[in-house]
Amino acid sequence: MLINTFHFLQMNALVALCHFCELHGPRTLFCTEAVHPPSPSPPQAGSAIPGDRDPEAEREGEGLTMRANSSATQRDMCEGCRSLPASHPGFVSVDNETGIRYLSHQHPRQAQLFSVVRQACVRSLSCEVCPGREGPIFFGDEQHGFVFSHTFFIKDSLARGFQRWYSIVVVAMDRIYLINSWPFLLRHLRLTIQSLQSTALKVFDSEQCVCPQRVMRMNSAFSPAVFPHQRSGNAARSLTSLTQHPNLWGSLHSSFSWLLKACGSRLTEKLLEGAPTEDTLVLIERQTEQEEEMSGWDGSEGEGSNLQSGQSESAQAKDFQFEDGKQDDFIGPKFKSLRHLRQVLGAADFRQLTWHVLMGNQVIWRGSDSGLIQSAFSVLKALLPVGCVRAIPYSPHYEEAYRCNFLGLSPDVPIPAHVSSSEFSVLVDVLNAEKGCAGQLTADEVLSLYQFHLSSTNTQPTDKGPTLLNKMEVALSNENLSVEVVSLCLLCLKEEWMNKVKVLFKFSKVDGRGKEDTQRVLGLLGATGPGEEDNVRLLKFWMTGLSKLYKSHLMTAVRGGERTLSQ
Amino acid sequence: MLLGVGKAHTGTCWHAPTVWSWASVVGLKMKFKIWRKNTSRWLFIPESASWNSWASAEFDLAQIRLIVYQDCERRGRQVLFDSKAIHKLDSSEPTADESKTTPNRSNACQIGCQASDKDKPPSYQYTRPASDVNMLGEMMFGSVSMSYKGSTLKIHHIRSPPQLMISKVFSTRFGSSSVSGSTSTLQDSFESMCQTFPSHSSSMAHSNPVDMPSRGHSEDGDSGIARSASLSSLLATPLPSPGSSLSSGCASSFQRRYLRSQATSLQHGPVPRCSNPAMIRRKKIAISIIISLPEREEENHSFQEFFFSHFPLFESHMNKLKTAIERAMIVCRRIAESSQRVQVYLCRVMEALGEFRMTVWNLYMAPRISEPVWLSMISQSAERNLLCQRFMKEMSLLMEHGAKTQFLSVLLTAVLTHHLAWVPTVMPSNLPPAKHACQKPTSQTVDHLAKSHPYNPLWAQLGDLYGALGSPVRVCRTVVVGRRRELVQRVLYVLSYFIRCSDLQEEHVQPQGRDNSANPCMSQTNDPSTEKHFSPPPDEPFSEVPGTNEKAQISGVGVPIPCMFVQQQQDLSKDTKSTNPPNSLEAANVGPESSETGQECFGEVSGELEHILANQSPLLHRVQFHIGSPREADNAGQAGNLAAMGAGRGFDKCLHQRLLTDVMRNESSDSALGDSDDEETSLQEVYMASELMEYDLPLPKFEVESRASVNHFGRSLLGGYCPQYMPDFALHGISSDFRLKQYLMADLEHTVLHPALDEPVAEALCIVADTDRLSVQVVSSQRRVFEGGRLGRDVMMSNLIHTLITSVLQLFALNIAADFCVMHLEDRLQEVYFKSRSLAEYLRGQTRVHMSSRIRTHCARQPFSPCPAFTKQSDCLVCPDERLAVYVCVCIQLPGDDESCIILEYLMRLCLFFHKSLI
Repeated sequence: MLINTFHFLQMNALVALCHFCELHGPRTLFCTEAVHPPSPSPPQAGSAIPGDRDPEAEREGEGLTMRANSSATQRDMCEGCRSLPASHPGFVSVDNETGIRYLSHQHPRQAQLFSVVRQACVRSLSCEVCPGREGPIFFGDEQHGFVFSHTFFIKDSLARGFQRWYSIVVVAMDRIYLINSWPFLLRHLRLTIQSLQSTALKVFDSEQCVCPQRVMRMNSAFSPAVFPHQRSGNAARSLTSLTQHPNLWGSLHSSFSWLLKACGSRLTEKLLEGAPTEDTLVLIERQTEQEEEMSGWDGSEGEGSNLQSGQSESAQAKDFQFEDGKQDDFIGPKFKSLRHLRQVLGAADFRQLTWHVLMGNQVIWRGSDSGLIQSAFSVLKALLPVGCVRAIPYSPHYEEAYRCNFLGLSPDVPIPAHVSSSEFSVLVDVLNAEKGCAGQLTADEVLSLYQFHLSSTNTQPTDKGPTLLNKMEVALSNENLSVEVVSLCLLCLKEEWMNKVKVLFKFSKVDGRGKEDTQRVLGLLGATGPGEEDNVRLLKFWMTGLSKLYKSHLMTAVRGGERTLSQ
Repeated sequence: MLLGVGKAHTGTCWHAPTVWSWASVVGLKMKFKIWRKNTSRWLFIPESASWNSWASAEFDLAQIRLIVYQDCERRGRQVLFDSKAIHKLDSSEPTADESKTTPNRSNACQIGCQASDKDKPPSYQYTRPASDVNMLGEMMFGSVSMSYKGSTLKIHHIRSPPQLMISKVFSTRFGSSSVSGSTSTLQDSFESMCQTFPSHSSSMAHSNPVDMPSRGHSEDGDSGIARSASLSSLLATPLPSPGSSLSSGCASSFQRRYLRSQATSLQHGPVPRCSNPAMIRRKKIAISIIISLPEREEENHSFQEFFFSHFPLFESHMNKLKTAIERAMIVCRRIAESSQRVQVYLCRVMEALGEFRMTVWNLYMAPRISEPVWLSMISQSAERNLLCQRFMKEMSLLMEHGAKTQFLSVLLTAVLTHHLAWVPTVMPSNLPPAKHACQKPTSQTVDHLAKSHPYNPLWAQLGDLYGALGSPVRVCRTVVVGRRRELVQRVLYVLSYFIRCSDLQEEHVQPQGRDNSANPCMSQTNDPSTEKHFSPPPDEPFSEVPGTNEKAQISGVGVPIPCMFVQQQQDLSKDTKSTNPPNSLEAANVGPESSETGQECFGEVSGELEHILANQSPLLHRVQFHIGSPREADNAGQAGNLAAMGAGRGFDKCLHQRLLTDVMRNESSDSALGDSDDEETSLQEVYMASELMEYDLPLPKFEVESRASVNHFGRSLLGGYCPQYMPDFALHGISSDFRLKQYLMADLEHTVLHPALDEPVAEALCIVADTDRLSVQVVSSQRRVFEGGRLGRDVMMSNLIHTLITSVLQLFALNIAADFCVMHLEDRLQEVYFKSRSLAEYLRGQTRVHMSSRIRTHCARQPFSPCPAFTKQSDCLVCPDERLAVYVCVCIQLPGDDESCIILEYLMRLCLFFHKSLI
């Protein structure tokens, strides 16, 4: 089992500070939103282009205010309704890990969110009722988004009732997530609110000390012309002035960005994936070895270690298609699939050939058309675990069996006597019958011009087992199954037998059990019965194809007593 | 006779049961005795020792109050029901009667009028409602009524006495044809109720409804169905997922989570809907549940944590309650005599409330599997070997027990067929394992998804547990019935390996140095010793923090860390190593690389108060303005945001100067700025500002402490041996199927109508395993009639699963190490996955070739009903192996490919028969 831990680094939400202005009603003061990097997803409708602002949405949001506050004609905006001055560009923080940018302005920059925030602001400050007028509420709907709102008072020595009313709203479209986050949001917003309140309280207290003079001075300062403003001169006080905090908005930006990010990372999901197949592991091991060799040569270590993710995948893919890639270079006849090979060779020869392949015997193809030979190998290799394949596609001289189990040779290369007399090898001679008219024929027809001569000194019957081959032949001979289905079937069979190999390895090599026990395990694995001998041979050969990682893992689990087993 | 029955008696009666589940509760000794007499067999359930860490206190059923309110233009607000104002009249000896009974559903039922063991239904008196109803009404409806037509949900927290109020407000129909029929009947019912019911109109003034466009959706738009519109349109889009490749291990997980993220993304914004003024201003009904919170802070906290993390379940039960109230209204309308009508109404609603209370109580208090195998294996690698040992042993014992009927194989066939979350856990990963085989680097795709396209992991987990992985969504639960507790618990234990879900860890996120980040102007003093770790070196941007996966968790860290974490961070996070020495004053000033203008504007600390603030808020240390400095452009470049980058580069110092002067002037100006004042005009401001580049502030760091969380579904929905059947649990055991039989069908139907999953559900299933009779049945919300009083269809054994289990157990019997056996079991499950893949591929081909247009049309028309032409054959052909493979196939399909999934299923049943060689 493999564990994947997923971290969530941000929440699909925005945070806004709202204020109930005594002159202008509910107003959005400050808004922090998260802007995602261009996603790997299908193009999103209406991304954040300010010019794209939907006029309907605006009117909707505005209409709400007008009705609710009968301030439709009030076009002005006082200090109290403002956070950043018009010329202020706002704040941004970038999460370099994800590319998400947290933007703060007085209003959201993403057009679609403007009315959403407006709505949340109005509802939080003029529609919803909270006992004591301070506290958390959740409300919202599909249409306008869902809102976690926390209302609170800020002390103001000049305000009616000596306080002003604010709220912080968190708006999200994921209702459940927002509700799930309630305790977290409440805990942290409370801290923010408390710190705002206590800071303002200090300002308030100090102002109260000098109150008389101040009131006098202010009264004298205002002329009758601005009386409406003057009477509610308090309405013009900004939160900055109430807290005497010079970096208030920058701090709030940091605070809100933090909240968005932290709320998302609150929960970590641990997901498990299946173990990579042995084939994958072996490929990775081989690639690592290659890269180590390479880096040993040219000394560029940096490149070598960077084999994860994309690079390894592409390399892997290349490896899988090793011959396929090269095959394309040869314009000539080739084998397309096992079924094709079977058709060309005939069922009997195919059976014999694949039997040798599965048993781990050396398979030698000799002929002048190296492209054809390579295509045969690439088709045949699919029968074996990757770890069992050692191929020398085309060589001018014979290579020993321990070096390769697939060997391609040019037509005139002699086969040593100890090999040709061995029952552990099979030789396919590819003979060109006629060559002249190849140009006019299709690839299939071209193949019919070849003759394939199979020879082996093996005297054992190849028609009993192994079980895997029997099943494989059923699938190959069933014309209802497409080539894709057959290859998936083959994958199933291989994995099934690889799992048996693992058990046998554990049993015989790691635990070192006796023959009797081993026999029982073989029975248990379904390797006994007809073809038993072949099955056992196959299992033993395939054992050599296990990945180093797997083997060492089993070994250490036993020896070191390290019990953090896995896979 | 206005007895305080509600409080005193129910109090007694509801308290008692808490004892069995939480025997350490003090002060309840008497009740404990009463309880023990009747139900001693439930005491000391082993599970109760360590489960249920969230329920640190008893939960009193009387803590749950129900209010039904009406807000009508003509009559004002009226309380239609308040459980606090309702008293039972007729019980001759209420104390004895009620305290004796257990707080199970049968008891709740006795409150109601359908109690079978009572001669006549109880009578209730409706008394003066409590003094707080006016206030509560205002909270439910809001001071300005909304013209939004859909049902809305609100949650309030009331400070004193501490209570949570959950309200569902929905409008009733008036000249609107778009609303479902049930509402209209409810409307009528409420109308008639109002006439006979003691009315308590409040004299609340009604403001004009705020103009909010109504929606064309059904009244219960927030139940999750509404989301299907956007979701299904997304489903149609091909995904850029790795799902199409065979080897991509996380295909299913990725897609499901990706779609969720898209469906809930704010960037897509709300769905605009047109407004219909004819539909606004109508009567509204609110159904509110008010839960009194425990007085003790700790208990209060744990209940709230539980409540909010399990909210979807609570809501689902509220919907059920709402339906019951509607029914009560409809029933009582038929009664002519008014006092009797009220009685029937009260009785029905009280019964429904009793149900609701019981369900909530059960959800909170019922025993859980203390060590669910799968989750424990994920989370505790140290004890893995012991776990494997125990698991294999228990499974062997179970196999022996049901050997004759192959009970275990049959049960696992059903569980693996329907609880599909195991499939993604065996899909092979194609990424190399790191270090040793149990750890694997996080899948780049999914991890990136989680980071940049967040979805709710709780939601994902709930879906996993219910096996809701395929498309269309099917959800499944498993109930194990049996009188032998030990046996049932063994079955539950073994199944907790196969019913899988992701594990959730709660990161206890702290802003740097304890909550300073959340505090823009924290006024408490900070421990200076912590502060020294905080300020990041100004010349080392955070972007340099290595973003590897192990570090991802804490790479956001950097700044204030309580001492205990510092060490760890320094190991992992580059930037903490080189943090600045503590110098808050310096840090409060603009960083050395900042421009002069920046300093003038923001960095200069003037005045004592500011000093204090600056010193006290480590946050300020990081409020650094890098305007115009070379670094700013770098940062923007690293951010990879083209727009910002462009703007940043084009930014010259002159412009800065001018801007900043503006800022200063504006900040200091007393007068309201003459320009663009209104919010409307601020749009221009937006345009204008969009051409400027925002001040770049470093993202505040936080530090993370991972703790195993108990408040997630993986821990809460795997139930233990419970006193009675419960509708929420993905898995639980019960002693008798009496109540199961009574409620299961209704619960399954409810699941389809009001899925807790927040996704449309096509079919709800329940696997019922009877350990006494050794039988396994599957009950479906779609198939109702079964002969002989059976609940559902008998499950047939999959040979594939049987051989799989048998061989694994035989290996264990051969003394092969338990952990290897478990590994082998996983390998074998992976084989099942591969086999299903090839089947799916085969059937895809078959679909192309042989699919008759007839089936296709049928499937398209009636996606979830069996095709008549094939029902008969498919019933004969269905064999468990195929069935299993079908579901696995469906699971690995690309979501959204509904039709082909269904076609696949039919074809699977039909064609597979002829190609046994495949399986």
